[in-house]
Amino acid sequence: MPAIDLISLSIIYATSFAILLIGYLAAVSSKDVIRLLISLEMMFGAIFMALIPLFSIAHLATTAFGLALITIFASSGELLILISAIAILDQRKKDIHTSAITIGGDKL
Amino acid sequence: MHRKKPKAFYADIQNVHFMSADMLLLSALAGIAVVFALGVLLSKDNFYSALYMSVTLVFVATIYAFFNLQPVFVLIAFVFVGAIGIVTVALAATYRSEPERQVSGLWAVPVAITAFFIILAIVCYPVFHPQPVSSSVIEFELMNFLPVTEYLLLVLFLISLVILLLLSVLKIGIGERS
Repeated sequence: MPAIDLISLSIIYATSFAILLIGYLAAVSSKDVIRLLISLEMMFGAIFMALIPLFSIAHLATTAFGLALITIFASSGELLILISAIAILDQRKKDIHTSAITIGGDKL
Repeated sequence: MHRKKPKAFYADIQNVHFMSADMLLLSALAGIAVVFALGVLLSKDNFYSALYMSVTLVFVATIYAFFNLQPVFVLIAFVFVGAIGIVTVALAATYRSEPERQVSGLWAVPVAITAFFIILAIVCYPVFHPQPVSSSVIEFELMNFLPVTEYLLLVLFLISLVILLLLSVLKIGIGERS
């Protein structure tokens, strides 16, 4: 079985950071809510990557699995909320672009 | 000077070969995941972005399988990608519109700066921490997780949370229609 050493740790964290940054970039530049949903799921993917080294610590392996479960449930909740947001936005504005949202936030 | 016995020496060489093959495979899997993640960012069409996202997450799950963490692989591949990812793909296909570029080139500057610092941190770590980090094998057993009552309680609470969210979403949906 492959062991986790410094090189594999570096590869895992670099990949996790790369996916997280791509997710952030996709989120800040998204023009519609579906792309926002995609970018949030990318961020959850990066969290999954960052959890791998926790499994290599013997007394934290079960905790790591618990965290992976929490992440999956959190992403399911996020999907439910965003789907309802998309449906309501479509019903009220007939548009799913983020520019159609005028409530909340600051105007620059 | 201490000399190793030939058998131990050849075993060491074999281990080095296996390690390098493992590292190559891990690097390839991680590299493919990042390439597909870039595809999500650069694709103009949301449908293709959602497909690339699903492939990225499948490769993240494959890295778990590489470390023999089969329960997490099953959870990610079948629950995260199989359910959540496919719902996203279906949503993107339903609300498919004229593709337009969503990323401004100006964002490349902060991304390049962050990437530079991450690469610098990875390269400089062995320089500032010269003592070798011992490698550890992952030995996770699902049977050790299941009997712990606290974790079962956690799963129960999380299921209740999702059911509550589902009910509130249904209530909002019914309220919107009436």
